[in-house]
Amino acid sequence: MITLSLAVGFALVLAGLYGALTNRNILRMIVSFTVADTGVNIVLVAVGWMRGRTAPILDDAVPIAEAAQRIIDPLPQALVLTAIVIGLGVTALMLAYAYRLYSTAGTLDVSKFTELKW
Amino acid sequence: MVSPLFILAIGLGAAFGVGLLDARSRGLAFAITLAGLAAMSAIGAEWLWAFVVDGVQPIMVMTAGAPPPFAINLRMGPAEAALVAIICLTGLLSAIQMREALLRLGRRAMAVLSIAVMALSGIVLTRDVFNLFVFFELVVIATGGLVLLSDDPRATAAGFKYLVVSQVASMLMLIGIVFVYHAGGSLNVDDLIGSPAVAAGGAAGLAFLLLMIALVLETKPFPANGWALDVYEAAHPGFGAIFSAASASAALYAVDKVVGVGGAAFLPMLTAIGLVTFVGANLLALSQTVDRRLLGYSSVAQVGLVLAVIGLRDLLGERYLMVAGGLLVAHAVAKAGLFWLSELVAGRDFAAWAALRRRPILIFAFATFVAMLAGLPPFPGFYAKWELTHALMAQGRPELVAAILVGALFEAGYLFRWFGRALKATPPEGVSDLPVSKVGVVVLTALGGWVLGEVWGAASPYGDVLGATPLLVALAFLALEPLSARIKNTLAIVVLVAAFASGWPHFDPLQLIFAAIVLLGGAVIFVASYAFADGRRTGFYPSAMLMYAGLAMLIVAKDTFGFFAAWEVLTIGSYFLILRGKQSEPHALSYVVFSLGGAFAILAGFALAAETTALFPIAGLKQVAAPFAPWVFVLLAVGFMTKTASIGLHIWLPGAHAEAETDVSPMVSGILLKAGLFGLFMLLMQMGRQSLYGVDLTLVLLWIGAASALLGNLMAVFQEDAKRLLAYSSIGQMGYAVFGLALMNHLGWLMALMFVINHYIYKSSLFLSVGGVYKRTGTREMYRMGGLITLMPLTFFAVLVGIVAMSGVPPLSGFGGRWIFYNAILDTPARLPMVVIFLSGPIAFLYLFRLIHTIFLGQLKDEHRRIREAPIWLIAPQMLYVAFLIGFALFPGLALRKVDAFISRFIPEHALNWDGLTITSAYGYWNPVSIMIVIVVIFVTLLAWLVFLNRRAQMVKQFNIVFAAERPYRPETTHFAWNFFAPYRRALGPLTEPYFERFWQAQTDALHGWAGFARRFYTGDGQVYAFQVVGFVVIVCWAAMGMTP
Repeated sequence: MITLSLAVGFALVLAGLYGALTNRNILRMIVSFTVADTGVNIVLVAVGWMRGRTAPILDDAVPIAEAAQRIIDPLPQALVLTAIVIGLGVTALMLAYAYRLYSTAGTLDVSKFTELKW
Repeated sequence: MVSPLFILAIGLGAAFGVGLLDARSRGLAFAITLAGLAAMSAIGAEWLWAFVVDGVQPIMVMTAGAPPPFAINLRMGPAEAALVAIICLTGLLSAIQMREALLRLGRRAMAVLSIAVMALSGIVLTRDVFNLFVFFELVVIATGGLVLLSDDPRATAAGFKYLVVSQVASMLMLIGIVFVYHAGGSLNVDDLIGSPAVAAGGAAGLAFLLLMIALVLETKPFPANGWALDVYEAAHPGFGAIFSAASASAALYAVDKVVGVGGAAFLPMLTAIGLVTFVGANLLALSQTVDRRLLGYSSVAQVGLVLAVIGLRDLLGERYLMVAGGLLVAHAVAKAGLFWLSELVAGRDFAAWAALRRRPILIFAFATFVAMLAGLPPFPGFYAKWELTHALMAQGRPELVAAILVGALFEAGYLFRWFGRALKATPPEGVSDLPVSKVGVVVLTALGGWVLGEVWGAASPYGDVLGATPLLVALAFLALEPLSARIKNTLAIVVLVAAFASGWPHFDPLQLIFAAIVLLGGAVIFVASYAFADGRRTGFYPSAMLMYAGLAMLIVAKDTFGFFAAWEVLTIGSYFLILRGKQSEPHALSYVVFSLGGAFAILAGFALAAETTALFPIAGLKQVAAPFAPWVFVLLAVGFMTKTASIGLHIWLPGAHAEAETDVSPMVSGILLKAGLFGLFMLLMQMGRQSLYGVDLTLVLLWIGAASALLGNLMAVFQEDAKRLLAYSSIGQMGYAVFGLALMNHLGWLMALMFVINHYIYKSSLFLSVGGVYKRTGTREMYRMGGLITLMPLTFFAVLVGIVAMSGVPPLSGFGGRWIFYNAILDTPARLPMVVIFLSGPIAFLYLFRLIHTIFLGQLKDEHRRIREAPIWLIAPQMLYVAFLIGFALFPGLALRKVDAFISRFIPEHALNWDGLTITSAYGYWNPVSIMIVIVVIFVTLLAWLVFLNRRAQMVKQFNIVFAAERPYRPETTHFAWNFFAPYRRALGPLTEPYFERFWQAQTDALHGWAGFARRFYTGDGQVYAFQVVGFVVIVCWAAMGMTP
């Protein structure tokens, strides 16, 4: 289970990176990055998972005294939440950039924006 | 003490606070932003003060009421406080620089700025790796916003490239963090440092490696940094300053903080990446022509150097903080200052920086920043460079020293080229006024650089360069700049004479001779400066006094640190002086590059000699042991010979001396060259004969001296320009002196000292004479002159005496030099170089004859009929020199007797015997007074005879020697005095071909060619940049896994 999620996560990361490095269209690059981000998030969650344990919610089902033995590590999940929020922010910013680039240059081809070089 | 949490709270509060304001009240929003940044800076500064002055202990700040690892904690220690102060101050001052842009874009942009500074501070403060990630992402988003503050439409593309690469880095970082957490069980850096799982390697090691690479990527390592360069070039310079100074500081500290988790195994990786970055970025910067992109390359390089130092932290031990900190603050202050300066300049090419000349104080700031970046004294980078090379040499890592010094030389090359361009280019016309607040920020930053120099100096165990009285006096002349040049000139003379008087009782005879030449000789040359003392002559006096300060410090230096600091001070001062000439830009550049190259050789030599202790007395050079000693000798000798312009290292001299101003030429020729001789004296006295691979190094020096004498004299023969002739002749003269020193016998050294004195006198005198002629005729080309003897009789007399002295014929002091010299070479077994040096004697006659013949004799040119004698201020020192030449010829014992006795302490054999007026050596005797009488009698008789014959001479009318059907496209070719020694040239020309010029030109061309080719790696395509980053990660992983199996 954990191996599978890790494998899926890394596969997504690599697929996303591949997409971002091969697609010339800026929007496609951004979508590829979100795919890769999702992959990273899956990896994060997978790392926190432990066999046979329950969700880290302290209620009647999991008394505080036994919590340490019965719940999975809650920290990666908290990290994932933060990472998702940050990913959202960065993606939004990149989309704003894409809009701006398109409105000034009339193209979304990333290879056209090479006035700055060398 | 205010809790460091408030730094973050105020940043966030200001950001959200301006968001609540009405969109139209931009002024208020700007005020709130500035107040917030100021408060954050104040907190950082308060802590820094507490740590440094009050000795408070570092603290941990808990958040959320729980200790780590259950909650995030912050650390506030001296390093954190310093970095936070730098970051927040940079943010504050940049906000002032970006005022218009911020007001135009409104409160959102201001909020983003506050967030950026807050997040950068957070990176420094936090001890939690995931929190580190969050702050980094905040910086990414804020950077993405702030890049758009620029007026440059290309900034949008640059920002997008940055975001693309940041995405890659953040994915790496996140994956690295979660696996490190998995292995180490904590996100707290301090917990992880104790954890064995990460250090053990394996999967956790790989995860940590990914985290490290992600952090390293934030420092913009070469070559995975095209995105950063584009941001530097296109962003608003105010943001450029933050990106260079603050972001880099934060990223470096993050690396430093986290690398401890992985342990020592990861350090070599940082050193390797850092050094590749430092050398690579500096090399590529050589072909840059856009100021901000150049600053970008330079930033990348400097940060790379600090990264390398982080990798060396175990090796540096307790000195680590001073070294890394020194390099980092020098970079941060200088780079921020230069970016802010660039805002005051309208164009983006180097020549546009000439606009700064309208405010000399900005040139002062510019010079300060350039010196800070180049690691010159008295700035922190200088101390760091010293410590770093010594520590590396002590650990047996000369290859790292070489890499660092080569990179630093590249950097000095392009920085000084830029500086020279700014000072010599024509300022653009009709530019608007520079706003006071922006000028103020720049000046404040420059002054901050000086304060930091003092801080590092005070903390340095080797000595505080800024505490040296000569340097302080020279700096005081900066404050005197508003005074008129006449007053400053008088003060300068008084100061030099007073310095000599106060040092007099403490000098040994050798020091006394050099001090007399530098200080009293300098004062005499300043007399000539009255001729040019109209107005303020801005920049002249601080530069000259800086050079004299360096020379004065050099003479009395007791340890290698003092010696080296003095060497660099005199190099900078003389560079500024040489740069003042109208056409001297390329020559000043080649001077400073050769000099700094030489200085680096000296630094490496001292470091190699010192072994484990960096505070090394000069007398300790005696004890340097066998495997190192010859190398120390080679490095030091090469360094000193860049100043004596020995053949091969001489190409800077002719231009630098010839193009310098009239009163500067004697300073840099008569006085400055002696610094190299002083160094060689010191070296040979302490180290004596050394041999490398069975070759006697003094014999090599002997050959170099002989070759310099021969080729220098030969090249002088074929010059048309009188000042160039004198300059080439200096190469020859210094060759004699080096030869004398390398003879390693008593008389050789004595002769070298004779040359030190004589060369100062006659070369200064001749440069002033020729300068006076130039002032009157407006040309330095000798064939354009002629017959000036009647119009400028005093100058003629001075030149006559000067060349008689220089040629070494009796009766003037040059003969004494020759006499000692011939005695000295009879003592040596080296016959062949002796023949060479013998040959160069008559050659000197050829060029000296031209001086008197072509300039003063023959027919007067029509356009010169009305000229007058040179100004009295130029004539006065020449007459003094004439008197001295005659006096020294009659009584050489005045100076030499003491020195003779002093040299006997080192080489007692074959000392001279001083008996009344007669001087006896092993081979004969010399009585200066009787020689003088004999010569004067012969001279007067001959002169009377000639005057008698002169009655029959006829007046000749001017005529042109062009024959019919000859078409003189170049009229000078028909002049008899042009190409005067054509027959000799046909015979000896091949010897004077500019082989060495071609060699060095080929080196520079190759470097520039390389740089121009290699920089095409940065295609400008964001995707290619991302690919390069991924490639960088793969290669570093592969190499690191290879290194740590």
